[in-house]
Amino acid sequence: MQKNFLSNESFPLFLQGLAASGDLHGPVLTDDGVMAFRPICSPADIQLDCIRTLIPPKKYFFPPKEAILTYSPVKGYQLTKAAGKKVILFGLHPCDLAGIAYLDRVFLESQPDPLFVKRRKAVTLIGLSCEPDEYCFCGTMGTAEPQNFDIFMHRTEAGFYLSAGSSRGKKIIRRLSVLLEAREPPSPVPCECKIEETILQAATRGETFSESRLWEDFAGRCLSCGACSLCCPTCYCFDVQERGRLDGETAERLREWDNCLFKSHGEVAGGHNFRKTREERFRYRFQHKYLGFGPMRGIVSCVGCGRCRDVCPVKIDLMELFREKANIL
Amino acid sequence: MKKPTMAIAGLTACSGCQLTLLNCEAELPEVAGCFDLIFFPMGISGGDECASVDVAIVEGAVSTPDDLETLLHLRSRSRFLVAFGTCALWGGVAAMKNHESRTELTKIVYHDVAGEVLTFNPEPFHFFVTVDFAIPGCPPEKDELLALLSSLLRGSFPVFPIYPVCTECRNRENRCLLVEDNELCLGPLIQAGCGARCPAAGIVCEGCRGPVAEANVASEMELLMQKGFPREEIISRMRRFCPEWNYEQRH
Ligand code: SF4
Ligand code: SF4
Ligand code: SF4
Ligand code: SF4
Repeated sequence: MQKNFLSNESFPLFLQGLAASGDLHGPVLTDDGVMAFRPICSPADIQLDCIRTLIPPKKYFFPPKEAILTYSPVKGYQLTKAAGKKVILFGLHPCDLAGIAYLDRVFLESQPDPLFVKRRKAVTLIGLSCEPDEYCFCGTMGTAEPQNFDIFMHRTEAGFYLSAGSSRGKKIIRRLSVLLEAREPPSPVPCECKIEETILQAATRGETFSESRLWEDFAGRCLSCGACSLCCPTCYCFDVQERGRLDGETAERLREWDNCLFKSHGEVAGGHNFRKTREERFRYRFQHKYLGFGPMRGIVSCVGCGRCRDVCPVKIDLMELFREKANIL
Repeated sequence: MKKPTMAIAGLTACSGCQLTLLNCEAELPEVAGCFDLIFFPMGISGGDECASVDVAIVEGAVSTPDDLETLLHLRSRSRFLVAFGTCALWGGVAAMKNHESRTELTKIVYHDVAGEVLTFNPEPFHFFVTVDFAIPGCPPEKDELLALLSSLLRGSFPVFPIYPVCTECRNRENRCLLVEDNELCLGPLIQAGCGARCPAAGIVCEGCRGPVAEANVASEMELLMQKGFPREEIISRMRRFCPEWNYEQRH
């Protein structure tokens, strides 16, 4: 039998071993008490019980704001080059792994984004099992079953059961096998989620809840603060801006995270706006998250991480739409 | 190519905005190389008061007959008028008591000579003239000023954020003082661009950059009142940098 079990005692050594393959990052509490993916300075800093970070791991592949192109008369147009520094990203829950899998489809498939490609290749994904809280509903999106990892670590009281999901993961496990022993993994406990069927059925029939009164309620309360999509592991909308420099000759093109609830999201030249009201923007947000469009039509992009419901200052929750329709509260 | 001409001036204000410009130390030679600065009383003596200019960058609120005259004069001799800073754009700190009686306030400060004081309620430029561009902030951000100057040189529009301070705050992974600590943070109502400077230092956003487009004022008020803040306190905080809000506005 393969060596697959890592005891709690060997865990710090395992982390040290991981750090030999790249800079080790994972969930830590910042000085002001925010759960965030950051570089790990000491194994004791890792928050193994982290439920969710504020900003999802997408920031490693697709930062909030960056220059993607520069122009100068001497060098002409130049695409930004990502550093592609090797990172070992530890502590990814199944929902975050699923979120990365979704972004992979967006940024790696038909028209690969060079910056995303470079950074994505440089990051090794180490998954970690978790306990859902009242905001999670990942069972719903079929993400409770981990996918898209290099290594997944199933945590139990005595230690972790490891499985490799890629050749890179296998290599690391092989390299660190002195720290492991062979044990029969416990049978997985199915993750139950009451709203699962409801969401999947609604998505399949292309439900838009067009008659619901909730849209008006959401639009009236929403502060357009942006948190729901900044914190969403699968929101990838960005705005592109051209910034000419003072010298009148050089310029850069920036891209920055956007949110479909902002006034400017549907605004085009001449001030025309495809979604003038916040209510229209909410309907659009729902349709993108649950019905998808373009090449991603029919793919539910919500992975049930619960971040948007947790961070919204006015507690807006799209789940209410499903609950209202199904009369479940 | 002839360099565009520029005037920089101030009305009733603290001169902090003009200082922002002088603080662009690294870029000043470049700015001076791109623009012909023909009027800048705070920085250069003996400028031409009457020549027409391509750009007038003006700080401060309109609060005296002299202010109004200067503003009208600058408007009529400039191609682009830039309201520089929160006072010029919204009224700013000097306007926080605009809802109280001017006569009473003047008496408290000037006692016997109050009758001779000719000032009126500090008001933003757009109450009197057409404003072409605005840079918010108390004081404004250096980067936004440079972005505006670069755009003017090119004849394009500067791109400024159309979202609230919260967006920058979340992106920086700050602790949300409103949600986590129930503090009176105005971030959701305020124009971004400062990089959420205050919450990043653990201090609530006081709103020094003024209202963001489509601010949901009514919802923020409801939220703060649910958290136990009296309506009067919220309003007095909101008035610190911008005297006139529509408290019922949702969109
Ligand atoms: S929509 Fe909300 S629950 Fe779904 S993945 Fe995004 S943040 Fe998580
Ligand atoms: S987090 Fe809530 S208040 Fe903020 S934009 Fe999203 S729905 Fe609106
Ligand atoms: S601390 Fe203030 S500015 Fe930052 S997210 Fe919270 S409400 Fe917005
Ligand atoms: S956080 Fe608020 S008060 Fe502080 S600089 Fe920004 S806009 Fe001004």
